[in-house]
Amino acid sequence: MKKLWHAREFSTVVILVLEILFCTWWLWPEGARTHPFLNAANFLLILKYSSIYGIAAIGAAIVIISGGIDLAPGAVMALAGVVAAQLFVVAGWPLGAAMGMGVLVGLASGLLTSALIVLVRLPPFIATLGVMGITRGIAFIITEGQYFDVSSRLIGGWRPLGLPADWVAPVILIVLAVVFQILMTTFQWGRAVFSVGGNETAALFSGIAVSRIKTSVYVISGLLAGVSGVVLVLVQGQGKADLATGYELDIIASSVVGGASLSGGRGSVIGAVLGTLIFGVLRNALPQIPGATFYDRLIVGLVVIVIVVVDQLLLKKRT
Amino acid sequence: MSSAPGLQFRNVSRSFGAVRALRGVTFDVSVGEVHGLIGENGAGKSTLLKILAGIVQPDAGEIHWRGERLHLGSPREALERGIGMVYQEMLCFENLTVAGNIFAGREITRGGRLRHAEMRERTRALLAELHLAVSPDAPAESLSAAHRQLVQVARALAFDCRILVLDEPTTSLTDAETDHLFAVLEKLKARGTTLLYVSHRLPEVFRLCDRITVLRDGAYVETCNRREVTPDHIVRAMVGRDLPPRTAAPSAVREPRPALAVDGLGRRPWFSNISLTVNAGEIVALFGLVGSGRSELLETIFGLYRREAGRIRVGGEEIDAASPRAAVRAGVTLVPEERQRQGLFFNLSVGDNLVLPDRTARGGLLLRAADERKAAQALVERWRIKTAGVDVPPDSLSGGNQQKIVVAKWLATGPTVILLDEPTKGVDVGAKFEIHEIIRGEAARGAGCLVASSDLPEVLALADRIIVMREGSIQGQLSGQGATEEAVMRLATHEAA
Repeated sequence: MKKLWHAREFSTVVILVLEILFCTWWLWPEGARTHPFLNAANFLLILKYSSIYGIAAIGAAIVIISGGIDLAPGAVMALAGVVAAQLFVVAGWPLGAAMGMGVLVGLASGLLTSALIVLVRLPPFIATLGVMGITRGIAFIITEGQYFDVSSRLIGGWRPLGLPADWVAPVILIVLAVVFQILMTTFQWGRAVFSVGGNETAALFSGIAVSRIKTSVYVISGLLAGVSGVVLVLVQGQGKADLATGYELDIIASSVVGGASLSGGRGSVIGAVLGTLIFGVLRNALPQIPGATFYDRLIVGLVVIVIVVVDQLLLKKRT
Repeated sequence: MSSAPGLQFRNVSRSFGAVRALRGVTFDVSVGEVHGLIGENGAGKSTLLKILAGIVQPDAGEIHWRGERLHLGSPREALERGIGMVYQEMLCFENLTVAGNIFAGREITRGGRLRHAEMRERTRALLAELHLAVSPDAPAESLSAAHRQLVQVARALAFDCRILVLDEPTTSLTDAETDHLFAVLEKLKARGTTLLYVSHRLPEVFRLCDRITVLRDGAYVETCNRREVTPDHIVRAMVGRDLPPRTAAPSAVREPRPALAVDGLGRRPWFSNISLTVNAGEIVALFGLVGSGRSELLETIFGLYRREAGRIRVGGEEIDAASPRAAVRAGVTLVPEERQRQGLFFNLSVGDNLVLPDRTARGGLLLRAADERKAAQALVERWRIKTAGVDVPPDSLSGGNQQKIVVAKWLATGPTVILLDEPTKGVDVGAKFEIHEIIRGEAARGAGCLVASSDLPEVLALADRIIVMREGSIQGQLSGQGATEEAVMRLATHEAA
């Protein structure tokens, strides 16, 4: 219990639980109708849509822990998504191969980002801003503004690996989150990422291959954005160039709400995933509140600030 | 003393742009000796150490260890050759634990997985060897500066290094901690480790080192046997000239007129009930060990922290607001301790740095470039700051000259009260002497100077009056003239006054 209290993710879990309790109370239905928020189908829906952000947020958190920033995930998701959709719908590739190609597109954009940061020595903000423009631009060029209808081409009752289609995204998220959480906390590579983010000069002087570590985090971020983009196309059923517009900021916000520090060296993969769930619940519940439609952006903005402040206060109290 | 050919520097040269940091340096360090390396800031010591650490590659020359040429292409290669470094700058991972810091980059792993338990155990043993009462799991950010420095030493010890290089390891240590460190170094020496010790503090170098090599302006000057030379000889070799004798004569304080009066000042947990006066034209030293609350006291007087109790009067007028802006307006300035972090803007030029406080104090919307240039150049000449011009960034200057900028820029505002926090920390004897002269000059002009320092010879040489602090309260006052090192130390370390 004491260990739990000291765990970095503790306050994020508390916030998530409080948020769910609040939404349950606020949206309590009159009479005996089913609860519009508190039901299994709705939770699966939240989980499904949060997974899209969550997969990319794993990469974003790792980049932020290494002391960098990645602005490209939203655009990379769109490019990976439209490539997969076009190959599947227009070129008639098998679904698996088309999706694999989408993921490779993410990997390639991650390599481009790494090259710009490690070889050309651009600051991460500029490098990823450029890659964001490039990938979004290519997505528009190859689609010429049209969209590809994936859902109508999916065979009814499509069950990859024997899973119901709705479960695909959450399962991918959970597997990736567990894998990267373990890599970050118990492997030498993860420790090196924390070291580089904590003090890059000291990391260099300690014999850590700083360039290699930086390359790895941007490649992973690109790769995960690719996975996320493909999942997005599957969930939404269509591929178009303006997919995931503005997601990069939501993804960064999720990592920060989950405890990542933008000055590097602090944060966790699980925290970032919990952060996306906090936003997922909010995005799900707000439209159900009558009259809240015009307020949802405002509320999301306030929530980011409140959570980070509360988290800092809790952190101070615990240490 | 074995005279086996140990570490040999042969004709090592390195230039950075037009600056020749090292000009064909050649000298030997014997196996198992403690070798002091000294020189003023900018003499090339840091560059030489960086070459040894594999961070910088020499333009020419070779380094040999026991007759075998070393190729030090990266920090990793240097570490693998058994060259351990304790750096002057705090190379600490604040986000990791003590154990994480000690093993950073060289974690104990199996198949890429960290072996936490084993690293924790080894850390515990190392900390015990160093008598460091710190948990291996303590976050590094919770450690004091001294403990962080000792963790750096532990880090070097964690890997059996054959050559241990220490760059100014005692800058933030108290005397007791320094003694402790030296005991550890003696033990290492007995074990056969070769030590290269870089410091500005001559007494330390003389206490520890078998031989001393002096560098000046990037060139080798001489290597002396400690037993055969005097500190004065080394100082002459470092600066290349005789220093004028110390004008230790205290500035005769005319009729005492308080420039700064502090009454019952308190701010928990750092200090409480502090009352002191600094008269116009007087230099008062505030002596205390690390953690005695002296920096915090100065910073509170300067308005960086809100005080819990007490009054501050400057020239008879009370300052109410706790803000540096109000303090500067009242004529108070603070020359902060850490020039890298608190004293200089490395994104601005030397000239901008010099005129900034005065510009801010005078207000006004427009920058008058030509006037400011002239003012900056005048300051450079007046304080003899060695710089390529007023347009270069401050990091192109040596540490001593950077510190002169930090001091000079505040004096340009013509303050009546000057608070200085370790004004000569980490600067060489030449620059130290000049900074002392600057402080004396300001006092002669009529400013009241309050100098916090943990450098005893400095305190004795500079102060008209010495106030000793310990654990957040004033332990006693001594007149600058009759004070001895023992008397001051006794107040700083013992209970009774």
